[in-house]
Amino acid sequence: MRLFPRSFAQRKDDLAEELQTHLQMAMQDRMDRGEPTEEARVAAMRELGNVPLIEDVTRGMWGWVWLERLGQDLKYSLRQLVKSPGFTLTVVGTLALGLGATAAMFTVVNRVLLRPLPYQDAHALVEIKEAGNKGVVAYGAPFLDIQQWRERDRLLSEIAFFVANDAMGRRSFLEGNSTSIQVVAPEISANLFATLGVHPAMGRGFEGRPETGSVREEDAHAIVLSDAVWRMSFGGDPKILGKMVKLNGNSYQVVGVMPRGFSFPLNVASPMVWTPIVLGQADALRTRHETPHYQVIARFKRKANPLGAEAELKGIQQEVAKQYTDPYERALVTSINLRRYGDSLVGSDMRKSLLALFGASALLWLIACVNVTSLLLARASSRQQEISVRGALGASRWRIVQQLLIEGLVLSGIASLLGLALAMLTLKLFEHGLMTQFNVHTKLTPNLSVLGGLLGLTVVSALVSSIWPAIGAARASIEPALRQRSVQTGAGRMQYRTRALLVVTEIAMSLALLFGCGLLLRTVYALRHVPLGFRTDHVIVVNMAIPAYKFAGRDMTTELYQPLVERVQHLPGVQSAALMTEVPLGNTFQMIFSFDVPGSSAADIRTRDLRAQFRAVGPEMQKVFGFRMLKGRFFNAGDTPASQPVVVVNRAFVAAFTGDNRNPGAILGKTLLGYGKGRRAIVVGVLDDERQVSVAQQSQPEIEVCIPQITPDSGFYKSAEGMAMDLAVRTERNPSAVIPELRAVMRNASPELVAINFTTMDQVVDDSYGSQRLAARLLEVFGCAALLLCIAGIYGLLAYQVTQRTRELGLRIALGAQRGDVMWLVLRQASWMLLAGSGVGLILAYLSSLLLRTFLYGVQPHDPWTMGAVTLLLLVGGLIAAYVPARRAASVDPMRALRAD
Amino acid sequence: MIRRNKYKNRIELLQGTLDMLILQTLQWGPQHGYGLVQAIRLQSGDVLQIETGSLYPALHRLERQGWVSAAWRQTESNQRAKYYRITAAGKKQLASDLDKWQQISAAIGSILQSGPERGDV
Repeated sequence: MRLFPRSFAQRKDDLAEELQTHLQMAMQDRMDRGEPTEEARVAAMRELGNVPLIEDVTRGMWGWVWLERLGQDLKYSLRQLVKSPGFTLTVVGTLALGLGATAAMFTVVNRVLLRPLPYQDAHALVEIKEAGNKGVVAYGAPFLDIQQWRERDRLLSEIAFFVANDAMGRRSFLEGNSTSIQVVAPEISANLFATLGVHPAMGRGFEGRPETGSVREEDAHAIVLSDAVWRMSFGGDPKILGKMVKLNGNSYQVVGVMPRGFSFPLNVASPMVWTPIVLGQADALRTRHETPHYQVIARFKRKANPLGAEAELKGIQQEVAKQYTDPYERALVTSINLRRYGDSLVGSDMRKSLLALFGASALLWLIACVNVTSLLLARASSRQQEISVRGALGASRWRIVQQLLIEGLVLSGIASLLGLALAMLTLKLFEHGLMTQFNVHTKLTPNLSVLGGLLGLTVVSALVSSIWPAIGAARASIEPALRQRSVQTGAGRMQYRTRALLVVTEIAMSLALLFGCGLLLRTVYALRHVPLGFRTDHVIVVNMAIPAYKFAGRDMTTELYQPLVERVQHLPGVQSAALMTEVPLGNTFQMIFSFDVPGSSAADIRTRDLRAQFRAVGPEMQKVFGFRMLKGRFFNAGDTPASQPVVVVNRAFVAAFTGDNRNPGAILGKTLLGYGKGRRAIVVGVLDDERQVSVAQQSQPEIEVCIPQITPDSGFYKSAEGMAMDLAVRTERNPSAVIPELRAVMRNASPELVAINFTTMDQVVDDSYGSQRLAARLLEVFGCAALLLCIAGIYGLLAYQVTQRTRELGLRIALGAQRGDVMWLVLRQASWMLLAGSGVGLILAYLSSLLLRTFLYGVQPHDPWTMGAVTLLLLVGGLIAAYVPARRAASVDPMRALRAD
Repeated sequence: MIRRNKYKNRIELLQGTLDMLILQTLQWGPQHGYGLVQAIRLQSGDVLQIETGSLYPALHRLERQGWVSAAWRQTESNQRAKYYRITAAGKKQLASDLDKWQQISAAIGSILQSGPERGDV
């Protein structure tokens, strides 16, 4: 048996020659027997039979005939498509829109939701958090609680814990061979790598104590590097193990290097190193402010299910909670919240918004398919004659269906190539938005699984859009089509109804998309008009990562911050500049301030419940941002380390603190917090409300301290030190001119400040409602495309209809119908489709708007104004689409129309 | 359309036996298509006339299955013709076909013979 078929042409020639030889031999035989040449030839030929048919059947035996037919069909369909370029372009363009949108969104879904985690059996990993009457405790659990879970639990095979320093704003710097780089440096328990099921590619992990999971004291100064750090900072040095490296100024010995692609926690952009957790004295306590709290990740046993594990842990936690002596603290941790680690990486809001956008793109795809089905139906009926001829010549029904399906496949194949280009364009255009909103740190490009999905979708589109027209065309009886030239029969009316139904479906789906788009546009409008409480124009924001270790034992305030600000303030064109731990809406990290007061009176409970945004700010901050003071004063140059410590709070803080927001001035002069050594800070001012966390979120309680007053001996110097710090600069000059100068000042202050991020306050605000804006922009694109397809669908159907009815219309006009009547005849059809489509569409829109609920701000999911507006838009668009064919119908020349046949 | 179906039916009907006849005839030496038709006709005493419409598809199928191999050669009358030769796999197939055929014909034969006897009783 031949594995590789010889070329088709050669085999065909062989076969023809073989049969020819047969004929020759038969003729020779007969002539040898004495028959005359001509008779012998005729007899031999009769005996041989129908040569092309024999060849055909014989070729069927080669087993490659389907390929040959496929080739024929492909060639034929390409010829057909080239012959009618307008039709081809319309179909390809329509499908490309749908396929492109879907491919782009699927790329994002695939990257964010379907990404495989770089851990072994990642689905068995869960994140455990304590929960209570204030919801889930985000800052983690003390070791004592974790230890109880470890001892009593039966369904979890490993429980590991870690401190995600970076998430808390602590920046780390690693000194490499040449320069020092910023790294993400979580502290981890010894069993963490084992829990994740990943082992160092080189060297070892940390030596642990089996009874606690923590790291032995011997390994307190060991460090494990990520592959990226090993390559970037140490040039992939094969003898790295055992060497000493400096992290934040402290010496660590490298004991291992993790495999390439490994990272923990996920979703970090910087290179990573891991340092050990060694338990200390403080871990033997359960106080909220002194005891270290850890994040917990665990792996459940092979056959256990997460629900069982959660129930078991909840049971254990009830016992654990009893060991909290303070009833207030106890109530915070009475229960357990358990989530799959994979789910914890993508917030449920993000998941919902992503799926809603993906759904919108899928809807667009569906609309495109419906539109193409309608187009193909029209084409099949205009090709009925050709198809009938093929049938009459002996093509089987299956063969005709196959031919039309292949045409569909060719169309959607070309469309998917174009769609891929469109998808890449979309991803490029929305790159910034997608990457910031969905926490993606690498370039978004379609990968293999996206291409596979696109291929599947291409085939499905071809099937969905062409199988119906194909079967319809193949089933139609041959005779009538051959006998009469035009198709104004019952089948034609049936087909018109089908197409009208398709257009109605299209209108309904488009209305849903447009409505979603309208709601989001209103949301963005509402967000843009939220009074933020501060000015955002002409402010440059610099996110600085401060290498705090370089200032160990020194006063960062006087040695770094204040000189830096002074130098910036003296740059030309700079009106004011100030430091702030985080600019409003910065979304980099938050420091939460809470009171640690005993007692159980209503006021005490209220005080303990208070969670305030904590910010350390420079006195110039008010000049930069223009915050409005409600009462009292803001910090000024008179607030120095030597003077009375002062704090400023905002209106929301006063309301939460006193339980009464009628008299914000009442808090002035009160002492709220200690600066250490008996220095108590008094409240000197109350800020008006402002949006600090997100534009959509009401003002949160906030307390601000003055940076010049923070000395190393004050209580929160420790927490503010080494934290990220933002510098806000107000200048009338163009940011692109000022930024290089700022960079130079930074470089002079500390070399680590070279690689920092510059942005503008307008951009920060923009990013903070980025998810709504992104969704609105994407839906704008999808909605416009849907509207376009809708209009094309209505126009296509009516134009076709008018062409088909030219004779009838001519007759009507000849018999005295007014032009207006004829126009109305066409417009009536359009109105009927539009009204039916809008009716169904409004229901669909109402249902789909519920999916968008998490996005919306300042507008109800079933906002009647938006509904009215988009319906009107669709109706007007549809009527305009119908007007052109209606005009054409009205201008039919009766003489010409009647004479045409 | 209709005629093609007729051909298809005939091939299917004859498939098993035609293959066997071809392989059996090729045992005497390589032969071309026309030679095969003549040989089978002669050996069957002019009873079996193989249609070319069945023969060539069958030959090409046998070739694809590896039971015969084909090569172009000169005939005695100096004409180029495609000669088919039975392969080792073809011989094995023929043996098993013959075996089956003998079983079937024996079985059919015994039924046909026993019928009237029973009728006599």
